[in-house]
Amino acid sequence: MKIRRALLKIVDHPATPYVVLSVIALFMIAPFIWMGLSAFKTHAETFRYPPTYFPENPTLKTMSEAWSKAPIPTYIANSLMMCLGATIIIVIAGSFTAYGLSQYRYKGSNMVLGLFLFTRTIPPLALLLPYYLVLMKLHLLNTRISVVLYLIYLSYPLVVWLLKGFFDSFPRELIDSAIVDGCSRTGAIFRIVFPVAATGIYAIAVVAFMWGWNEFFAPFLFIHYDELKPITVGLYYFVGDEYTYWNRMSAAGIYAVIPSLLFFLLAQKYIVKGLTSGALKY
Amino acid sequence: MKISDSRYGTILSIPGLMLLLVWVLIPFSYLFYLSFLRYDNINPVIFSGFANYERVLGDSAFPLILTRTFIFAFGSTGFTVVTSLILAFCLNRIVKGSTFFRSLVIMPWAVPLILSGFLWAWMFHPSFGPISDILMKLKLTSEPLNIYKNPNMAMAGIIIADGWRRIPFLTIITLAGLQSISPELYDAAKVDGADSFHIFGYVSMPLVSRPLLIGTLITLMFSFRSIDVIYSMTPGGGYAKSTYVLGAYLFDYMYEFLNFGVAASASVILIIFTLAIGSVFIYYTLKKR
Repeated sequence: MKIRRALLKIVDHPATPYVVLSVIALFMIAPFIWMGLSAFKTHAETFRYPPTYFPENPTLKTMSEAWSKAPIPTYIANSLMMCLGATIIIVIAGSFTAYGLSQYRYKGSNMVLGLFLFTRTIPPLALLLPYYLVLMKLHLLNTRISVVLYLIYLSYPLVVWLLKGFFDSFPRELIDSAIVDGCSRTGAIFRIVFPVAATGIYAIAVVAFMWGWNEFFAPFLFIHYDELKPITVGLYYFVGDEYTYWNRMSAAGIYAVIPSLLFFLLAQKYIVKGLTSGALKY
Repeated sequence: MKISDSRYGTILSIPGLMLLLVWVLIPFSYLFYLSFLRYDNINPVIFSGFANYERVLGDSAFPLILTRTFIFAFGSTGFTVVTSLILAFCLNRIVKGSTFFRSLVIMPWAVPLILSGFLWAWMFHPSFGPISDILMKLKLTSEPLNIYKNPNMAMAGIIIADGWRRIPFLTIITLAGLQSISPELYDAAKVDGADSFHIFGYVSMPLVSRPLLIGTLITLMFSFRSIDVIYSMTPGGGYAKSTYVLGAYLFDYMYEFLNFGVAASASVILIIFTLAIGSVFIYYTLKKR
């Protein structure tokens, strides 16, 4: 009992969560700090032993070199095009699917949802080979569309699942009263449901966007032209046979992270909310 | 003509499903077909029965590869679950600075796994990385720490790099679950004389267990098959093939040896293992409370 009381004193202390959070948060941002500091080092300094922490002669040259030596702007534009394209298609199509599954249940709709989840449990890595061969036969290799198609497969089921949970908690009275007022069922979707649910849909769209942004192997296999590669594959530009350009890789990494981080931090309030009402309502 | 409500639901949801099924079923069945072919890009393609499966399952390295796959998947998931639980409980308790800490903690979500591998590979570098240097400065080790020359430590390294990227998702899921617990329950427990450990064991954990379980299964499924971190951190499977998992084996046959038949049968085996985890996930997701 004495030990328990002593432990309780530690656990219940108001400062404890802050101490624990600070320690874990340090672990979570350590790679960001290292990446941020290294992006301002020279190539020689990244190969110093023992390593330096703060750049000795901070230089912006690395950031500009990474931007101009490798086609970073092109890579980022490609990533944006692929991810935004896929996300828009997934969220629009998924909204209708999820809304139908949630508000107008029919015989076997639960089985349909199960099928959706089933398709997502198939490891994408295992389907890369047949996708590659099918895309080759369709003459779609080395196009951005190939990656968009793959991303649709990757995110569609989980997006439908998240959206379905989200629509489940949508107040049915709002829809019914709109219909009583002479709105058609389809009209109610556009006039009531989507505007009211916009923030939740937005949050789930950001999650889908992140899944796409993270994808490496599909574009790595499907695309061989430099001008079509997304940023994840583009990072390989700095990995050499002899040595890796760590400083430029860091700079490129910062460019790669900024767009998704921005989307993410702007949406994080809605993501927590969206997941609370979506994934966990059952 | 009035369409019934259930028919309306079918109309709304079936087109999306059909599209997906076509787009999944074609490659899926094609994969099965491929796995029974001798398709090595050298000899003419012929039907070869179970030869590819025999080759994968009979590979002397296969039991080891499978063991490593499980160690990696469960190691990464375990690391993620423990850290996420601690984070979520702490974040749920604080008011001041909660947005600040939450933002810091979920930042890795924005980092592609492949970049996470590169970054941690460099941080763990025995000469040019900070981790070995800090350990030496703290006098915890006398010589540079080289995780790449020690099979167990190499595995620990990829688990950290993989888990680091997965913690934010599970933290948010768990935190969202914790926040949906009504505060009255805590008050009622306190009135009954429960201390923090009782509340944790009898109130918080039971109520958060479902989202936590679903989140854990998703994490397990994801880490079971993702080789991004392994590919960028320990290319080729690392020292003594200590980080060579089933996914890496599959990818090598597809990309390095161009033996599509063997790659396809390895894919089918990977699918079977993932479906075992996935069916538990589907069961708990669809089960009514």
